[in-house]
Amino acid sequence: MRTFYLSLKYLAVVLWSAFVIFPFLWMLSTSFKTANAVTAGAKWLPWVQFEPSLAGWQSLFGGVGGINIVKPYLNSGIVTLSGSAIALVLGTLAAYGLSRFTFKAGPLGNGDITFFFISQRIMPPIVLAIPFFLMLRFLGLLDTLPGLILIYVAMLMPIAVWVMVDFFNSVPRGLDEMAWMDGCAPVTTFVRVILPNAVPGLVVAAMFCVIFGWNDFFFAFTMTFTEVQLLPVSIVALNSSVTPWWSLSAAAIVSVAPLAVLAFVVERFLSRGGLAGAVR
Amino acid sequence: MKTKTTLRGAMLTTSAILISAGAALAEDYTRFGIKEDVPGACSFASIDAKDYSGRTLNIITHAIPVIGEPTALHAQQFQELTGATVNVVHVPFGDLFQRIMIPFQTGQQAYDVLFFASLWLGDFNAYLAEVPQAYQEVSGMQSVTPTYKGVASWNGKMLNYTMDGDRHYLKFRSDVFDNPEMQALFKEKTGRDLTVPATWEEYNEVAAVFNNMDWDGDGAPNFGTAEVTKRDDLMFSAFISRVAPYAKHPDVKGGFFFDLETMEPLVNTPGWVRGLELFVAAQASMPPGGTSFGLGDEIFSFGGGQTLMSYSWDDAFIQAMQADSPIRNKVAAAPLPGAREVWNRTTGQWDTFETPNTAPYVTWGWSSAVAAGSQNQDMAFDYLCFFSNEANTLADLQIGRFGVNPYREAHFDPAFYQTELGWDANVATTYTDTLKAIDGGQNQVFDLRVPGVGEFMSSLAAGVARAQSGEASAQEALDGVAAEWKAIVDRIGVDRVREAYANVVALEDN
Amino acid sequence: MYRQKYIFLLPGLLVLVAIILFPLLFTIRVSFSSWDVYNPGLNWIGGENYARLWEDARYWEALIRLTFLTVATVTLQYTLGFALALLVWRDIAARRFFRVLFLVPMMTTPVVMSVIWRTIFHESLGPLNPILEAIGIDAQPWLSDAGFALAAVMIVEVWQWTPFMFLLLLAGLLSLPNEPFLAARIDGAGPIRTFLSVTLPMMGAISVGAILIRLIEASKLMETVYVLTSGGPGTATETTSYYIYIRGMRDFQIGYSASLSLTYLIVMSVALTLIAKALIRLMVKDRT
Repeated sequence: MRTFYLSLKYLAVVLWSAFVIFPFLWMLSTSFKTANAVTAGAKWLPWVQFEPSLAGWQSLFGGVGGINIVKPYLNSGIVTLSGSAIALVLGTLAAYGLSRFTFKAGPLGNGDITFFFISQRIMPPIVLAIPFFLMLRFLGLLDTLPGLILIYVAMLMPIAVWVMVDFFNSVPRGLDEMAWMDGCAPVTTFVRVILPNAVPGLVVAAMFCVIFGWNDFFFAFTMTFTEVQLLPVSIVALNSSVTPWWSLSAAAIVSVAPLAVLAFVVERFLSRGGLAGAVR
Repeated sequence: MKTKTTLRGAMLTTSAILISAGAALAEDYTRFGIKEDVPGACSFASIDAKDYSGRTLNIITHAIPVIGEPTALHAQQFQELTGATVNVVHVPFGDLFQRIMIPFQTGQQAYDVLFFASLWLGDFNAYLAEVPQAYQEVSGMQSVTPTYKGVASWNGKMLNYTMDGDRHYLKFRSDVFDNPEMQALFKEKTGRDLTVPATWEEYNEVAAVFNNMDWDGDGAPNFGTAEVTKRDDLMFSAFISRVAPYAKHPDVKGGFFFDLETMEPLVNTPGWVRGLELFVAAQASMPPGGTSFGLGDEIFSFGGGQTLMSYSWDDAFIQAMQADSPIRNKVAAAPLPGAREVWNRTTGQWDTFETPNTAPYVTWGWSSAVAAGSQNQDMAFDYLCFFSNEANTLADLQIGRFGVNPYREAHFDPAFYQTELGWDANVATTYTDTLKAIDGGQNQVFDLRVPGVGEFMSSLAAGVARAQSGEASAQEALDGVAAEWKAIVDRIGVDRVREAYANVVALEDN
Repeated sequence: MYRQKYIFLLPGLLVLVAIILFPLLFTIRVSFSSWDVYNPGLNWIGGENYARLWEDARYWEALIRLTFLTVATVTLQYTLGFALALLVWRDIAARRFFRVLFLVPMMTTPVVMSVIWRTIFHESLGPLNPILEAIGIDAQPWLSDAGFALAAVMIVEVWQWTPFMFLLLLAGLLSLPNEPFLAARIDGAGPIRTFLSVTLPMMGAISVGAILIRLIEASKLMETVYVLTSGGPGTATETTSYYIYIRGMRDFQIGYSASLSLTYLIVMSVALTLIAKALIRLMVKDRT
């Protein structure tokens, strides 16, 4: 009976893995195709079923009629990391405040303030395009990295607050109170006592910030002209009338690579059990 | 990268505007991939003589490669020749409008040069600089056909800089149409000879007969027709191609989309309804998934040899004629099918035509312009003039993926496609004959180039999609569109739309 | 010392308010104007946009469709995510490998992945139908039939965002104390009873948080719809965000799309508050 359960378990894991891997294998195969290989129907194996070509990959690295994603890659890295870092610092502070103290503004309490943060993510971004555009124009930050970072801070902070409030709620209050009794100011307590215990939560929050920042298309697209290009924007520059299955496949693989590394980091924290309560 | 050409002599005789005697002595610009420089105000030599160092030109264009790749290529050349810094940004078609419009409306000078769909001229005209007289007189512009000069003009001013010509036409597999077995099969099934469809009824009939059978013998089933059917993906354009001959009566002037006098929408009149019914009926002869094909899918379906017939812009045809294409030289072009019955809205009845009525749809077309707010208009127009100089255009025409299609008299010579691109005579002739017929054709239909064209077309597409999916009958769906169009006209202002639409009607009724 | 509490909250709150205040007020103001492709500007047309919206059947239908899609996909994601988390929680070989693998779909760029998915669902050139045929199932009209198109959109959403649930729930499981499980074993509880009476109650709070965030994010479903189906066939897959996109960016009816968005914001805020209350009552026993 036990073996039966166990084999069912393995079957389920393998089936889901197949579902997860399947699009990646298809992308990998497609990235080596040409138009003729695509129109010949679904083929998987290069050399055996179709003549492979490097055109899809070359088009990402300055090949003939392509783009060069190296600079957009760096831009995306800068914007994502700075935006995430700022959002994380501000969000973590706010989350700690919301978790430990009582705020009152008329009828509104902590729960409402937390909801205010999270509610920033409800609005469809489309409608914010013009006001954000006007605001950045006023600040002279259109088509610049700082301008995008500013928007990303607003976009990512709600996520950081949400993850960290839950996290701090699960860290025993006794820790703070002991430190206070020892005469530590709240800020010192936060930095010396709570933060070190919060690293796993920070990892999860940072991961979500980076994922959402790295993959944003709309703001990166609307708030720039020719000077600053982020990765998703420069990738869709290849999506012409003829849908280039090959270069988009290559691009998808290239853009997920750095984040996949992140998955390993997060998993390490998970396995150590270090995430205890990271998201409670 | 560029096709090396060997038949220089043949080239020269084919192009009246190529006068190369003087150029032979000048500097050699063939390193730029052109065959030879053509003297003129915007030739390689003339542009080389200018110095724009220290200045920056910002360009927005379509995604790579269609139009986007030649934009970047000529930007690179322009940079080398003049010393200017040229920045190019590439945007997919679906997002291009907003990316241009947001800076325009908020007063932000973002781009000097813009490449966009010419049907947006009704929305953009207020923000564009007129093409200076000097540029209208360069040889490259003088030789543009009247149709495409008309498309570039707004209220008598030339606001678009013509660098491409686009239109819808019919593409079909000549190997099947010429095959006696297939002809016999068709005769057996329908009782008539297999001919290139002259009406949309015939088109649907041919598509149905050859649907879901393996007529190319490769083991996989083939299908009747590939059309752009995906809502919000240029489907409106395919639909109008099908409607035009039923609704555009050659003797009825004064508007195709609207009655210019009353500004009543005509989209729910019987001619339109017939076109939609036939569009819906054709779904039975489309390949799997063919009822949600975007332009890219249509290109792969016909260009990859899956379907017998297709109609839209050049791309699918060019895809089929690529050097490594399995169906190279097995295709041919023809004007769009017509209609034997045409709705006459003045008399309120169907008129019968012995020779099918045709209404060539000169749709969309890539175009370019310079922003009125640009500080670099001199350099911007030089760039566009250089982009479209005779030497560059002849080189661009040879690279299918560039999407630069014939728009000058000289481009309609079949010999060019035979010698430079290696097309079979039949392919080249049907191609140029088709384009010529559209360009000089009577009873042309143009895009609805009025403010809010995006609203009108997305409303139309939504209505057509409802009929396609069976959510509504053709009449119901188009009645809904007409009601929405009325509301849009009211919102934007009836006089404003009429004034703009008068420009379009003037092109049609000339 | 409590006076220092503002040092924590205010920097983040003020920065967020500073960034978001103008766009929000502007959007509210725009929603009372007829800003469109021809008239960029803040004229005053009163509540005209809202009156029009009230009668806009397409908008309300899209909202109902979105509700169905969101609830269905988030439920699926939660169930699958929980199941997967339980699967690789303990005693399975190579569980660390599987954990990493299960996370990766979340990290792909949606705007690019949706194009990839369209190639996968492509009914004659894509790989999905041949695979189905190989295992004895007929080819399906993935993008051209209303039901299948909805399913296709849901499959993409489930693929991309189940990892989100999976991560949060796995983290929750790994942080559970051991004692309750030992107690359950001593009582002789089987795996199902242990799950229902021990695991599930302890996972309540985290579940509510994860479900709410996913509801918010899933409701913005736009890009996938745009690329896969453009809202078709007919209007079968048109969601609210996609409809707002069409009105706002395609039609460039900025004023009208602002009123659509604000209405959506209000509906969502109310709905989420109610859902949150209901979920907390249902799933969180020890809530103070």
